[in-house]
Amino acid sequence: MPPPSSETILVERPRLLDRRRLRRLLVLLLVLGAVLVLLAPLTATDQADSLGAPQLVDRSQIRILTTVAMFVVMASAWNLVGGLTGYSSFGNVAFFGLGAYTCAVAVDAHRLHLPMAAAIALAPLVPAAFAALVGLPLLRLRGHYFAIATLGTAVAVGEVVKNVDYLGGATGLFPPILHRADLLFLYLMVGAALLAVLVSRLILRSRFGYGLIAIRENEEAAGVIGVNTTMYKVGAFAVAAALTGLAGGLFALWNSFINQELGFSLDFNIQMILMAVLGGAGTLFGPVLGAIVLELLIQNLAGRSDVAVYAQIGLGLLLAVTVIFVPRGIVAFFGGGSRLSVAHLRRSLRETGV
Amino acid sequence: MQLFVQQVVLGLLIGGVYVAVAIGFSLVWGILNIVNLAHGALVIVGAYLTWLLFARARIDPFAALPIVAVALFAFGYALQRALINRVIRAPLFFTLLLTFGVNLVIVNALLVIFKSDFRSVTPSYSGSGFGVAGVQVPYIRLGALGVAVAVAAGVGGLLNRTRTGAAIQAVGADREAARLVGIDLRHVYALTFAVAAACAGVAGGLITTIQAITPTAGEPYTLQAFVVVVLGGLGRVGATVVGGLVFGLVETLGQTMVPGLGAGWANAIAFAILVLVLIVRPQGLMGRVA
Amino acid sequence: MMGGTTRFTGVVSLAAVLVLACGGAAGGGTAATTTGEDLVIGAPMSLTGSQSKEGALARQGYDMWLQWINQQGGINVKGVKHKVQLKYEDDTSKADISAQLAQKLITEEKAQFLLGPYGSATTASDAVVAEKNSIPMVEGNGAAQAIFNQGYKYVFGVLSPANVYLSGVLDMAATLRPKPATVAMLAADDNFSQEVAKAVVDYAPSKGFQVVYSDKYPNGSTNLSGLVANAKARNPDIVLNSGHLQEAIAIHKAAKDLKLDAKLSAYSVGPSTPDFIVALGKDANYVFDGSQWTPQVKSTASFYLSSQDYVAAYKKQFNTQDDPDYHVAESTAACLALQKAIENSGSLKPDKVRDALAALNVSTFFGQIRFDSRGINTFKPMVVEQIQDGKHHTVWPANVADATPQYPTPSWSGR
Repeated sequence: MPPPSSETILVERPRLLDRRRLRRLLVLLLVLGAVLVLLAPLTATDQADSLGAPQLVDRSQIRILTTVAMFVVMASAWNLVGGLTGYSSFGNVAFFGLGAYTCAVAVDAHRLHLPMAAAIALAPLVPAAFAALVGLPLLRLRGHYFAIATLGTAVAVGEVVKNVDYLGGATGLFPPILHRADLLFLYLMVGAALLAVLVSRLILRSRFGYGLIAIRENEEAAGVIGVNTTMYKVGAFAVAAALTGLAGGLFALWNSFINQELGFSLDFNIQMILMAVLGGAGTLFGPVLGAIVLELLIQNLAGRSDVAVYAQIGLGLLLAVTVIFVPRGIVAFFGGGSRLSVAHLRRSLRETGV
Repeated sequence: MQLFVQQVVLGLLIGGVYVAVAIGFSLVWGILNIVNLAHGALVIVGAYLTWLLFARARIDPFAALPIVAVALFAFGYALQRALINRVIRAPLFFTLLLTFGVNLVIVNALLVIFKSDFRSVTPSYSGSGFGVAGVQVPYIRLGALGVAVAVAAGVGGLLNRTRTGAAIQAVGADREAARLVGIDLRHVYALTFAVAAACAGVAGGLITTIQAITPTAGEPYTLQAFVVVVLGGLGRVGATVVGGLVFGLVETLGQTMVPGLGAGWANAIAFAILVLVLIVRPQGLMGRVA
Repeated sequence: MMGGTTRFTGVVSLAAVLVLACGGAAGGGTAATTTGEDLVIGAPMSLTGSQSKEGALARQGYDMWLQWINQQGGINVKGVKHKVQLKYEDDTSKADISAQLAQKLITEEKAQFLLGPYGSATTASDAVVAEKNSIPMVEGNGAAQAIFNQGYKYVFGVLSPANVYLSGVLDMAATLRPKPATVAMLAADDNFSQEVAKAVVDYAPSKGFQVVYSDKYPNGSTNLSGLVANAKARNPDIVLNSGHLQEAIAIHKAAKDLKLDAKLSAYSVGPSTPDFIVALGKDANYVFDGSQWTPQVKSTASFYLSSQDYVAAYKKQFNTQDDPDYHVAESTAACLALQKAIENSGSLKPDKVRDALAALNVSTFFGQIRFDSRGINTFKPMVVEQIQDGKHHTVWPANVADATPQYPTPSWSGR
């Protein structure tokens, strides 16, 4: 008879606060927090007043929330092309501007004079069509060339818009002011943000998404295994354009003023990239996190002239530090994959340094 | 006809400035594979240095150029060694973001030091020039073209006729092989960037005689440098010279000689050309096919 | 008894009246005014960024009025004086940030009124916020007409609109002998500059001028020699530029380089700032500019300081030998308009003040302040300045001028 086997069955003793439970708790808290933040502005309505509810959020804060939501859309959209597909576009603001101008022209009494809903519906379509059109030649470029070509495209489109009177020329366009519509625009923008995250999630878990990631990792190999790289790239580009254009359209209607400087703002351009990278390019929530954190930071620092220049220097340093030490973004710390430690930082440096 | 010749002359002269700006940019891109978004900022640092020397020490701007070159050389070396070397092998947009961050820091540091006032260097001989058959050739611009060509020749000579240059080219061609042969990569990278920074500084010195400067005035030059390098082709100094002169010509002539197309379309034209070249002939006018 | 009470009441009343009268006489009227709550006015301003130079000037204008009004004890609203708190926020010259800060000033910093920012795009964005919040905004630094064509009710501009910026120069040129015949117009492609340029092109023929060249360049360009060469080829007698300081300097340098000998050069922005003279030295002489106001302008000040006193007060407050530039003056004028409207309406309620602004008609050191139905001041004319021997002189219209125009400009080789 063989000796009794000394198998010991290891049973994991369930602890109250193990890693997984902790993570789930954190996510739950975050979701609850988000819901509260999103519902709080409702206390500013007349109905809430009549119920005696205290106003938790003022107009200025509603404005800030709307701007944050706008950047969530733009950062998530950029992430599709820059993060997932690995084509870092430095010209996505072109889509923002195109969407903004589409909406502005659509509602303008002297131009198309369409109802607002129709204008909003058009806002993603024009940029998407443009992206499909220019994407075909542009996406044949790689790396630096693609980055600067997209930047050039954004600048060029902005210039064209400035020279065409129908598009407002140098003056810009003035969509009519909607009074008492702060909350409407807030929730429209938040809706767009939710849409952007939803679309990102759908893509991430689909064949399309895997194809994009394959293109990022090794485009030639992806082509070899049967991924239609051109279609996939242009598709991602068009989806990103549509989302960014939607944000632009809503912005134009909300701001009631759009000109070349606002619509094709190089500030917005670089900010959406920063947010995606800081948060974690290629992930689902990275851009969301990056957008929230960075935009709140920018808004909090705004207005103080003594701080302004140093804030820019600080931003530059933050960029340098992020890129050198934390290239995978903040979200990497939540994934449990890496922890903020000296060893991790040293490893980062060794991977990318000379 | 006279107008056309005048425009051609002007185009070539401003092309000289573009060459000076683009040489350093081309070097960094070609050897380090880094598109330096802080290049314009380095140019403006050079411009401010030249202005300082002129305003405080009465040094003629052209005479100040060597001093500026040395100063920017040192600065560039330190910058590369301390910072940029750390992300050489990272995905490309990290280097773009890093140089963008460096750009932010430099420009805003200049804003703190110099405020946003416009400065200009107007030496006693500014505005004078000579005329040939009614076509004016201003001395300062001619001098700028001369310096630009000299700088290009200098860099070309460095790369092709010296050991250091050979090391730089080796590193650019095949990093690992260069390392195997015993070349100190960190040092060579830093040296390359330093030379590029020196060129940028000299370009800045030239610019300050032609236009008024302010800390943010460097931004357009980075973009223009990119267009010039793409136009001419990456890799050879001669290509950058051609690219710069052609760009100056196209910009000036396009702005002024095409009926119906005003100067308001200048940027749009520049980028249309850029994108066109990238798509149709990505190696540029003189570059080698990869 | 009735009689006794009445007399007693009468005596008491008489005594009370006497006491009040004495108190009033002795206090010089101040005993009749009380001090109310501070009035908060918000001002989003380009303190840093691309417009920081002009923003700093605008701020000086606001601060000059602030110091003066608080020295007076504050704005008098029906006998109650309210000291003014002026809250600035730096919009870093960005229109979207400016709008956010305007809202913040209203909502969180409790600004009851707004003073305008610098620049047309920022003013346009802030105007929207003012309208949405039904808060009057008075501005002196955004001259683009488009803002005032939108039918806003709460936005008022004290400065002359963009389209008259260079018409004064053309009016003056029409009187000079030998009369210039041709005009070249170079304009930046931004909103304001384009409005100025379009107005010139439309107005010039009516004065007997022919526009032989008109082109625009990207805002902030520095390589303008091509354009100047083009202009030169058409032999213009008058060279006009509407743009910004850096471009004015670049164009003037190019004109010298290329030997463009115009009989008259006028730039809309640039020559009025000291930087222009510093950058160009002697080359800056003979250059004209259209100005909203100059220190020499003879105006009647129905309240606040006269032009002369204003200049003196400016030099004292900011410890400088430079005259105040028109950006300073137009900003102060905006404050004056707001102050007068509040006083006229006898109220701090936004709607009442808004109505008082619409009905305002007052003369100040800056000129007449009165708004047309769109909200902009079409009642004050522009003046023309010229740099003569390194100094600014007002040369047009004749009734406010302190010097005559030096015309024609000598050729470059002749200087």
